[in-house]
Amino acid sequence: MLEVRLDAWMRELGVRDVERLDASNVKELLDELERRYPRLRLKLRDETGGLRRYVRVFVDGEDAGRGDGTAVPLSGVHTVDILHSIAGG
Amino acid sequence: MAEKKVRVLLGTRKGAYVVESDSKRKSWRVGQVESPGREVFHVTSDPRHPGHLYAAINDWMFGPIVKRSTNWGKTWEEITTPLMPATQERKPEFDTSGGEVQRPKHAITNLWHFEPGHADEPETLFLGVDPHMLFRSDDLGKSWVAVDSINNHSTKTDWGPGAGGPCMHTILIDPKDRRRMYVGMSAAGTFRSENGGKSWTAANKGVETPFLPHKYPEVGQCVHHVVLDPANPDTAYRQDHGGMYVSHDRMANWERIGKSIPTFKQFEDDFGFAVASAPALPGRAFFVPLEGRSRVTVQGGLQVFEWNDTKRSWRALMTATKIPGNYGVHREGMNTDALDPAGIYVGTTTGQLVLSPDAGKSWSQVPFQFPGIHSVHVVSPS
Repeated sequence: MLEVRLDAWMRELGVRDVERLDASNVKELLDELERRYPRLRLKLRDETGGLRRYVRVFVDGEDAGRGDGTAVPLSGVHTVDILHSIAGG
Repeated sequence: MAEKKVRVLLGTRKGAYVVESDSKRKSWRVGQVESPGREVFHVTSDPRHPGHLYAAINDWMFGPIVKRSTNWGKTWEEITTPLMPATQERKPEFDTSGGEVQRPKHAITNLWHFEPGHADEPETLFLGVDPHMLFRSDDLGKSWVAVDSINNHSTKTDWGPGAGGPCMHTILIDPKDRRRMYVGMSAAGTFRSENGGKSWTAANKGVETPFLPHKYPEVGQCVHHVVLDPANPDTAYRQDHGGMYVSHDRMANWERIGKSIPTFKQFEDDFGFAVASAPALPGRAFFVPLEGRSRVTVQGGLQVFEWNDTKRSWRALMTATKIPGNYGVHREGMNTDALDPAGIYVGTTTGQLVLSPDAGKSWSQVPFQFPGIHSVHVVSPS
């Protein structure tokens, strides 16, 4: 079972800081999070299904990357971190 | 129950505010900030449903968010945000070095402007977004439909982005005829519909495009903001990248009036973003001239000029010495109330809210430092 760690920014959407779930890739993981927390819908991904500009997904510490990052497989993975990058002013 | 408050709704770089006074407009109370830290491009009210406010929020983390209040801003709830149809693809954009700006090709980037529908259509809302799209809701924001007649207009290949992106920022409905609508987009220009949005005609004749090789193209103008005359909606006042204009024929033809504004002589420029009109002052329009290159106030201070369309003359309502400084004012940064004498309100990009409660005779500043102000919308007592 995957351990999914979510950053503090998402607390306002009602999520906990750690979730445990099964998913075969990042897209499935995000689908499951949105099923558990409907308010997350469209907050991490836009209507194309792509990650929003400042959302970063790290799979066992490795950046899943932009574009097709949601297709990254999670087989054998222990931890996924979902973070927001530092930006703004 | 009659409402006695004047409410100034502000969309700012760091949240939405409701600022309240009475009809004297002397002392002001600043309410608690809504969505602190988030870009709020526009906050407006729905006069058909007193107390209903809408906020167009563009959060750097979570993307576009629509919020509504039904109690004058005491509490807000998130409602449905329109989605870009998968069949709609944004045009490529390029930065100053010629590199393509990487943006999602099928996603809405920013929400720009809410417009409640005509009084005869109390459940209808319109929303203009980036990229260049109009959405319509006929159930007060529960669901949204893309208005393909304008979103896929035959001239679209000649539309470009403005510096703020390819945005639909102006939506106007003729109060005397709900079938007549106008939209404004940067840098595409203005368009008129005579059939409730079923079809649209480009409405930019006479508006210059100093940034294009062709001086008067059919479309491609970088309109900044447009308002209708409160007594005669066939007349419209326009602040464009290419100057200040008036139209007397439902935007079929535009006449440049900005070359006679007193500041033009020094700068050879009638640039600006904001324009407003006031119900108590038909035949007048208010402009804030900016210097085209720096995008800040000319002559070292905030200035507001009144165009008298009957006398065809300009008058300074505020000169540069009153509030010295290099201020920016965005396209929705000026608004008026419906009282007599008219109140005129100017929000700056550095967070000053300046107002006149007497049609420009005197000016004061709300003693509160707001974040940079994107939009000002005033709700008058009923």
